[in-house]
Amino acid sequence: MTDAPLLEIRSLAKSFGGARALRGVDFELRAGEVHALLGENGAGKSTLIKIVTGAHQPDAGVIRIGGREVSGLDPASARRLGIACIYQQPALFPDLTVAENIGLRLDPGHALRRVGWKKLHEQAAGLLRKIGAAIDPEAEVRGLSMPEQQLVEIACAVGTGARIVIMDEPTASLTQKEQHLLHAVVRDLRREGVGIIYISHRLEEIFALADRVTVLRDGESAGTGAIGELTERELIRRMVGREVAQIYPPAERPPGGVALAARDLGCAAGGVRDVSLEIRAGEILGLAGLVGAGRTELARVLFGLTPADSGAIELDGIPVTLRSPQEAVRHGIAYVPEDRRRHGVVLEMAVAENMTMAVHRRLFPGSWLRSSAERMLANGFVRDLAVKCAGAQAPAGSLSGGNQQKVSLARWLATKPRVLILDEPTQGVDIGAKAEIHRIIRRLAGEGLAVLLISSDLPEVLGMSDRIGVMRGGRLAGVLPGGSDAHEVMALALGQTAKGAA
Amino acid sequence: MMKPTDAPSRDWKALLLRHEMILLYVLVAEWLFFYFAGTSVNRRGVVIGFGTLDRQFDVLRHSCEIGLLALALTPVIITGGIDLSVGSLLGLCAILFGKLWHDAGLPIPVAAGLTLVIGTLAGGLNAVLVTALRLPPLIVTLGTYSLFRGLAEAITRGAVTYTDFPAGFLFLGQERWLGLPTQAWLFALVALAVWLLVHRTTFGRSYRAIGYSSEGARHAGLPVASRLAGVYLLAGGIAALAGIIYTARLGQAKADAGTGYELFAITAVVLGGTSIFGGAGSVHGTLLGVAAIAVLKNGLACLPVVMELNAAEEIAGLLTGALLLLALTGGVAFRMVPRLRRPHRAPSPTPPSS
Repeated sequence: MTDAPLLEIRSLAKSFGGARALRGVDFELRAGEVHALLGENGAGKSTLIKIVTGAHQPDAGVIRIGGREVSGLDPASARRLGIACIYQQPALFPDLTVAENIGLRLDPGHALRRVGWKKLHEQAAGLLRKIGAAIDPEAEVRGLSMPEQQLVEIACAVGTGARIVIMDEPTASLTQKEQHLLHAVVRDLRREGVGIIYISHRLEEIFALADRVTVLRDGESAGTGAIGELTERELIRRMVGREVAQIYPPAERPPGGVALAARDLGCAAGGVRDVSLEIRAGEILGLAGLVGAGRTELARVLFGLTPADSGAIELDGIPVTLRSPQEAVRHGIAYVPEDRRRHGVVLEMAVAENMTMAVHRRLFPGSWLRSSAERMLANGFVRDLAVKCAGAQAPAGSLSGGNQQKVSLARWLATKPRVLILDEPTQGVDIGAKAEIHRIIRRLAGEGLAVLLISSDLPEVLGMSDRIGVMRGGRLAGVLPGGSDAHEVMALALGQTAKGAA
Repeated sequence: MMKPTDAPSRDWKALLLRHEMILLYVLVAEWLFFYFAGTSVNRRGVVIGFGTLDRQFDVLRHSCEIGLLALALTPVIITGGIDLSVGSLLGLCAILFGKLWHDAGLPIPVAAGLTLVIGTLAGGLNAVLVTALRLPPLIVTLGTYSLFRGLAEAITRGAVTYTDFPAGFLFLGQERWLGLPTQAWLFALVALAVWLLVHRTTFGRSYRAIGYSSEGARHAGLPVASRLAGVYLLAGGIAALAGIIYTARLGQAKADAGTGYELFAITAVVLGGTSIFGGAGSVHGTLLGVAAIAVLKNGLACLPVVMELNAAEEIAGLLTGALLLLALTGGVAFRMVPRLRRPHRAPSPTPPSS
């Protein structure tokens, strides 16, 4: 029994609506190992993690913990089985002290039982010392930095005696020094026989820390291997797949004049600084970068949601000010937002109502609703974009993610825009709908639209874009020509030249 | 996560229809009950009580002011907001109307016109606080609720009551025109206008979008702030009209006019199926809600039992509350029943093999 892996997963499958997030994934975690989980956004990493922590139930497959098969895992039983997860955004109570937070996690307690303050304090101090964190147990969590909060999370995990610790991009927001501290803690845990599933986009970090790597791609395992046997190039190849060039539709014609130009654009509230870029009519400008690099913030500035406080925007060479979405819409700018459930569509309202929402003025002169005009427009888009729905009167919330995305897209196509900003248009969308959305985007560019395509899906950016802008820390780190490879984009996004890139 | 259903649009429509239809059944049942239980013949052989035409007109006459406030509140609540100040504003406008006519010597139509403008401006105060300063409507209108009532009392020093209005004006509140109480025509006109606004224009469409998701509406390029401002302005204007009608009905303008009306109005709106969280709602639902409350209140006053107890108001309040809670819980139950019926699709747990 002792040589059984800590965690063993066989043929795990999970679908959301029509989208298959996991299709038969195998995974294994041994005691005393750091096992990196690698994959592009949407590859299925978070779904896998959520199943292991009991947040989601698998549709099929077997999970064995310490050799014993478990089923019906929920968050509470996962914790009892020694599984702990440290998220990028720690989930602590900001108004309580470190000791109180640790105490709550270790022993949720009972409403009528007294709190042993002294014991609480000693326990917290002991755990923090154990992981080498110099944090005062009496400090309020609100006052801690993000890495300190992560250390508190780790202390909780250690305190609960977790044998399986999952870290989801723990270093994404850390400085170099803080990363080293965190790495040291991870190595300590490994020495004590804890198994660590480590998710990160930073290849360097994975090479420095991991023992083995499993790559996920499109919900399937693209192979597991010892870190010593793999090169960075091989990892990226597995992440990206081979057929990149073939599955993306090619440009149909050379781009026209500059449709949208930004000059030294900045917005303090959004953290966007000195961005200058041009998008030509008929061109797809990809925008790559790590999460938090300021891509969505730039889009919000261009759409007037958080107006710019410095720099200038020109449309077809004419300077414009965009202080509200209405102004942006009037100037022919359309924005398909990242969070489609909150911003892209109004879930409770009908598909047709959602599709006409940005064209009230044009479609309904004199403000009177005209249901025939609305039906015609909606049915047209349902047909053109192949929206799968029970009819144009079905609430948008009843559609699958990809189809909601098409509704959101249709709303903006109805405005007949000149500039179309797409923010993660295929996030959480299944492969089939994804390819369809790609074809639609390329067709729109072919019709002369200037497209700004924001995506964390690297193959998508590489495959779809005529040029690729890369953002880092609110600035445009550089613009690469189309056909650049993943290494160049990654290097710009990370602000360093990736080692091992041939 | 929302799961796709087979025919969601029909489900939703059925639900909405069901709520309003049920309210209609309740209203008819209520009316029939009071017709039979609340009508009697007195010693001189004259039919008295609920079943008389006079009484029915009375019900209508008395519903107009609360009905107008409920109409004013419907768009506000659909946007996810609330306006607690309409009752106080009714009082303030009644006083100002009286003052403009009596003290300033303005002709009635001019005084009425000015009062409508002032009411709209007072609604504008709510609008500015809610949209420009982004304060929560509940708090803003709780403030103006006190402010408007306080102003009305300050103007009259709690003592002055304006009376002796000309007969031509009282015609609006106490007489009939074309067979119906005069103010009922005004009420019907406003009801039609608000119904068209909410159900037939892009304004109403925007209110719903804002109510469901104000961020979503903003991302769709809808003018969220100006639409919100509009509903509070409209509420102010309608409250002023209700103030004038109130004055015409009682023949006097006093500072406590319309006290507590806002709560009856909100009750009517919610009873009518408009979600207090915004988004879903209808003007015809509101009208049914107003009718259900008005019939209940007036019908109870005609029941011999209640007359003996001399507690019509109290019992009406009690039953209105019960009706509202029933309507709310009934809605929740409706949504729960299909969920209970649907078989659980969770995978059957396999025992851990050791």
